[in-house]
Amino acid sequence: MTSFIRSRVVVPSLRTALKQILFGCELSRTQNHNKIIQYIVSNNSCSRFYSTEKKVFQRDKPHCNVGTIGHVDHGKTTLTAAITKILADKKLAEMKEYKDIDNAPEERARGITINVAHIEYQTDNRHYGHTDCPGHADYIKNMITGTSQMDGAILVVAATDGVMPQTREHLLLAKQIGVKHIVVFINKVDAADAEMVDLVEMEIRELMTEMGFEGDKVPVIHGSALSALEGKNEEIGSKAVLKLLDAVDSYIPTPVRELDKPFLLPVEHAYSIPGRGTVVTGRLERGIIKKGDDCEFVGFSKVFKSTITGIEMFHQILEEAQAGDQLGALVRGVKRADVKRGMVLCKPGTVKAYDHFEAQVYILNKDEGGRAKPFTSFIQLQLFCRTWDCSVQVTVPDKEMVMPGEDARLILKMFRPMVLEEGKRFTLRDGSLTLGTGVVSKILPALKPDEKLALSEGKKAREKKAAQAKQG
Amino acid sequence: MYSQLILKRFFCNSNSLFAAEKSLLATLRKKTGYTFSNCKKALELNNNDLTKAESWLHEQAQALGWSKATKLEGRKTNQGLVAATVQNQNAVLVEINCETDFVARNTNFQEMAEAAARACIEFSKKYALGENPLIKIDLESRQLNELPTADGKLLSDQLALMIGLVGENASLKRGICFKAAEQIHLSVYTHPYGNERNGILLGKFGGVVAFRQIRPSGVDIKKLGKDLCQHIVGMNPDRIGTVFDKPAGNTDDEKCLIYQEFLLDSEWTVGDLLKENGIEIIDFKRFECGETDKRIEEDTPEKITTCQ
Repeated sequence: MTSFIRSRVVVPSLRTALKQILFGCELSRTQNHNKIIQYIVSNNSCSRFYSTEKKVFQRDKPHCNVGTIGHVDHGKTTLTAAITKILADKKLAEMKEYKDIDNAPEERARGITINVAHIEYQTDNRHYGHTDCPGHADYIKNMITGTSQMDGAILVVAATDGVMPQTREHLLLAKQIGVKHIVVFINKVDAADAEMVDLVEMEIRELMTEMGFEGDKVPVIHGSALSALEGKNEEIGSKAVLKLLDAVDSYIPTPVRELDKPFLLPVEHAYSIPGRGTVVTGRLERGIIKKGDDCEFVGFSKVFKSTITGIEMFHQILEEAQAGDQLGALVRGVKRADVKRGMVLCKPGTVKAYDHFEAQVYILNKDEGGRAKPFTSFIQLQLFCRTWDCSVQVTVPDKEMVMPGEDARLILKMFRPMVLEEGKRFTLRDGSLTLGTGVVSKILPALKPDEKLALSEGKKAREKKAAQAKQG
Repeated sequence: MYSQLILKRFFCNSNSLFAAEKSLLATLRKKTGYTFSNCKKALELNNNDLTKAESWLHEQAQALGWSKATKLEGRKTNQGLVAATVQNQNAVLVEINCETDFVARNTNFQEMAEAAARACIEFSKKYALGENPLIKIDLESRQLNELPTADGKLLSDQLALMIGLVGENASLKRGICFKAAEQIHLSVYTHPYGNERNGILLGKFGGVVAFRQIRPSGVDIKKLGKDLCQHIVGMNPDRIGTVFDKPAGNTDDEKCLIYQEFLLDSEWTVGDLLKENGIEIIDFKRFECGETDKRIEEDTPEKITTCQ
């Protein structure tokens, strides 16, 4: 530990290397490396004296989020409890009781109440966040708030019952929340014979193919979560659970780390420094930037290239900045007036501005601080994303109105194009009220000039047009 | 080389043998959709006779459904659907509940909601209106269970069958029938709108409104009825309101229907809209899936209220 500190103080160039060792993976959420290092150092030294101190999270494995889906009686919760038990035996998880996971407790994420159980464990290869929700709406909220975007799912089916009528709905949900990789666990095989288990497997593969998943390639594991939990019948108990975890390890791909993506910096401010040029500041959202990198500014209908000639953090020169760093970047040949808050500085050609997209949105209810009334199509709201905001016109394609406390698919038309991408989260506001949170699900073709004009039309003009179209 | 050939043959044979054997269970399951364990039991009891096993399953379905229903009884149901429909001067709203919203999206459950709405409308049709312009009939869980369906069974029997199929607890929570005289118009609405099964609307919220035209104005009654109903579903008023009611200071907290801003055009209130079109609202009711309705919780005998 002392050598850590010394190296920090004495050899600053070693710091990056150290950081990489320490937090090998995702650095996206760390705002300030100096602080984090100090925090961990002091915490570790504390734990020598106070053994009851909180455990320090070790970032030595890639992280992946999974969840369980399936019928209420097929043993989702038992399986989750069994996974923690088996891994706890290997000192890779903390044992959770069935009752701790069941009746998913209410959680508030971004002001939204969700019934969700979050459990963490790790295998030899990866670290996992495990999500279990009781209903469709809760999974959707979980996806929208992004607390743990599921990278894959475990579908639990009991061998005694087989595929239930609502399994179709479970798979539809997986599609809706963007889960492409599903591992199937056939539970309760101790209560069925081999023939039944085979038939259940066939049925699941068939259904999954029908629903657009790769039914033939999906790993299907047979076992009994209860046996695993009770420590009986090793073959279908603990071994099956380990087999399942192996399948999850290999079949569900590790999501790309923010650090490995092309760099992007949402511009917070632009300053002109006499004698040096223009400096833009902001928090690096993803990727790594180095001095001398080519870059591009995108936003407010403008795109122009430049080069990063210097990076500074806390008035100190940085050779390289990583996702999460709050920094200032000196850019060549750019006037201060050219750059505005809300633009992004990115690797050339990696992002584009759009003004028309589809999103999954959750509308807050009154208790969560939202609006009391429902809204209909053509409502005009303010959309906040990264460092920019913009007026949008909302179209509700599937319903006639959206009630508070509901999720909905919305088509959003922006008054001017801004940098966006699929999976980006945003907030919708109406005056001083936060209306909802959403995630971009699909980019739609850019608005045509007449569509743009139509955005600013009032209700009367729209009705007149509709009436004309009817007659004509 | 030879050994390989032989091996291959062997595998082929064994595979086809296996397939022939398991196809019985697979066919039965595919044909009936009952759980694997029940299909297996049926085959065992009937010496692997497919037709006999199938008829046994159909015979047993009711009993199996009931046993499942009794087993699951007491588990909380707060998801589900509200079904609404209008048929010649009768309108109904019925709420049926299940445990998860996955099941509420399933066709089996939606069929059940449809059947419940049909049973209620038949019940309402049989009721005599007498001299009253409008009768409202509250139906509780107990009464809904005893209504007959189109094929002569009880609603509760059909519910048990459905429970046997989806393996989740479900219940018929409440219903309300509006029966009106000729001059009164009835409209229903469910949200999300547009989920319709054979003329029965299904949604998470439902509303019914009874109104009449007191002055001819040439307005499209059907559209106005639907819009008013949508307003009631969306804005959740707790009373119609009279001239004696005072508007609330904050429009967001307004619970009195005539003073609420009209949902589809916030430039005027519902009261203005009604005046403009010469309409009088007589009564309305709104169901929200999963809400607790005090009146339903109290165990009161069948209640019939007449208006005016």
